[in-house]
Amino acid sequence: MTAAIAPRPVSRAAVRIEGLGMVYPGGVRALEDVDLEVGEGEFLAILGLSGSGKSTLLRCINRLVDPTEGRIWIYGDEITALRGANLRKVRRSVAMIFQQFNLVRRHTVINNVLSGALGRSGLLSSLMLTFPQSERERARANLARVGLDDRAGSRADALSGGQQQRVAVARALMQEPRLILADEPVASLDPALRHSVMRHIEALNRDEGLTVICSLHDIDLVERYATRLVALRDGRVVWEGLPGQFDRETFKEIYGEDAEPASNTGF
Amino acid sequence: MVERQASEAMAGWRKGLARLQSIGIDAVLISMLLLMAELLLVAFSGRRGDTGLLLTAEDILDLLHYAWIGLAGVVLALGWNVFYHTLGTSPGRALVRGVPEWERDLEWTQTLRGWFAAVFIEFTFFAGWLITELDLYAFLTKFSKAADIVRGLAHPSASVLHEGLVLLVQTIFLAFMATAFAIPVAFVLAFPSARNLTRGSLVARTAYTFSRTLMNFVRAVEPLVWALIFISWVGIGPFAGVLALWVHSVAALTKLYSEQIESIDTGPMDAITATGAGTLQVLRFGVVPQVIPPFLSFTIYRWDINVRMSTIIGFVGGGGIGYILKPRVDLGEWGEVGTLVLLIACTVWLMDIISAKIRERIV
Repeated sequence: MTAAIAPRPVSRAAVRIEGLGMVYPGGVRALEDVDLEVGEGEFLAILGLSGSGKSTLLRCINRLVDPTEGRIWIYGDEITALRGANLRKVRRSVAMIFQQFNLVRRHTVINNVLSGALGRSGLLSSLMLTFPQSERERARANLARVGLDDRAGSRADALSGGQQQRVAVARALMQEPRLILADEPVASLDPALRHSVMRHIEALNRDEGLTVICSLHDIDLVERYATRLVALRDGRVVWEGLPGQFDRETFKEIYGEDAEPASNTGF
Repeated sequence: MVERQASEAMAGWRKGLARLQSIGIDAVLISMLLLMAELLLVAFSGRRGDTGLLLTAEDILDLLHYAWIGLAGVVLALGWNVFYHTLGTSPGRALVRGVPEWERDLEWTQTLRGWFAAVFIEFTFFAGWLITELDLYAFLTKFSKAADIVRGLAHPSASVLHEGLVLLVQTIFLAFMATAFAIPVAFVLAFPSARNLTRGSLVARTAYTFSRTLMNFVRAVEPLVWALIFISWVGIGPFAGVLALWVHSVAALTKLYSEQIESIDTGPMDAITATGAGTLQVLRFGVVPQVIPPFLSFTIYRWDINVRMSTIIGFVGGGGIGYILKPRVDLGEWGEVGTLVLLIACTVWLMDIISAKIRERIV
């Protein structure tokens, strides 16, 4: 459908963004002229202060919000031009992990994981919460991967924050995605538990070659997990580079003159 | 470029609309204040009517100059909105566009808007006192006239106990059927009536406007009027009562349900949308689990309301215990009225206990 309107760009990029801009209905400009290309298998970290447009950028990629300017391609499909069933089909290959986990709190853990399969499930059976046996087994396997197979029957809100985020990772896995968008996935977790979630996301990136785009504000985590960095400030890309190139100068540029890096970041 | 121009034209159009809106609100508020001021002036002017007695509330209302005051309201509202830099933000402007930064830290006594609000509230109470003809003297000194009724209610008579109990069962079932039939209809209507789910397409916004308007209209019509309509439709008896309470419950539950939907956490909806799920699946997983417990407690509360309302519905022939209550009230059989009132009170009390227990379990 898209191909008829615009020639499909010949590119092996997982995500290609051109001239992306977003103005919210209230008139607040969240993104301005963002160009970005994310290669297949990259772990791209997005840095920036809160309010710099990180969340909006991630939400534009799977069209949870509709950008007001620019175009986005995901594995060659121009998602900004798709609607209805075609849009949902592309969304199925893009999993998202949220800062607030966003589980269905009153459902069981296993049902939450199964909800990742909604895109390919029959309408009636999914509305009745009767998923086929094959999906149930897959859900159990995904829960086991994040180490929570013993909690399958618990209500989601009975779990701790770190466990809930691991359920969210299992739900993402259930989509069998090619791309994972993670919006501050560990920002609301206890610092000691951050790596327990990040490790799972890292494993997906390293072992299965999934592309990951992840907004983070902890420089430590960025240095350890990302393969490439992009920094936003006031909705614009102000810096791009590799983890090793991130120094005090860049830090000031992104976070402003008044910002101080936390003492343990090593520079 | 064309898009940008279009959006600027749109912005200008919106600005004009907002200005008009704030002037309109101001005009209404100022006119109301002026009307109340004139009402109080007339009331305390010592003028007497044709009969030589002090003016009654109706006389005073007749004397008000609605048209002139309305005109003055519009003019003053215009003035306030034109000179808002010197006069401070007007109430209408504050409502439509918010209070500007430099006025936020001011005490209410430092702004014209604050004084306007204070005087408005004062006048509302004074005018309300006059219009509703509050009579503290009668309230405090003439209790003896009602003593018969109270004595009768306190001495219930056993003669209507059997008939009362039978009709009480009918009342409870009447309320139950009306509530039960209202649930599925209200459940379906609640989704198009929720603002947060209907921002997207034109179809969704139309559905919102349509269902909101319809439900507001249905709710505005008293169950008693619905009962009269259905009594002529299906005849006197409990079925007419069921229909009347059903229609009213659908409208009331739709409103409560949709307000609940509007206050959900949108996070799970986003998460389910992101999996590539369709609209119905997003509603089923992202919305329904969050609203089921409050829906249940609203529904039980509605049943409780319906039990109480069906008494009044029975007064006009809609079945239930009200059917035998009405003639006894008319004849002044206060003992028998007392029995029936006690039966209703016990039922409501029991239902309250049961619904509290159920809510505890679910939520």
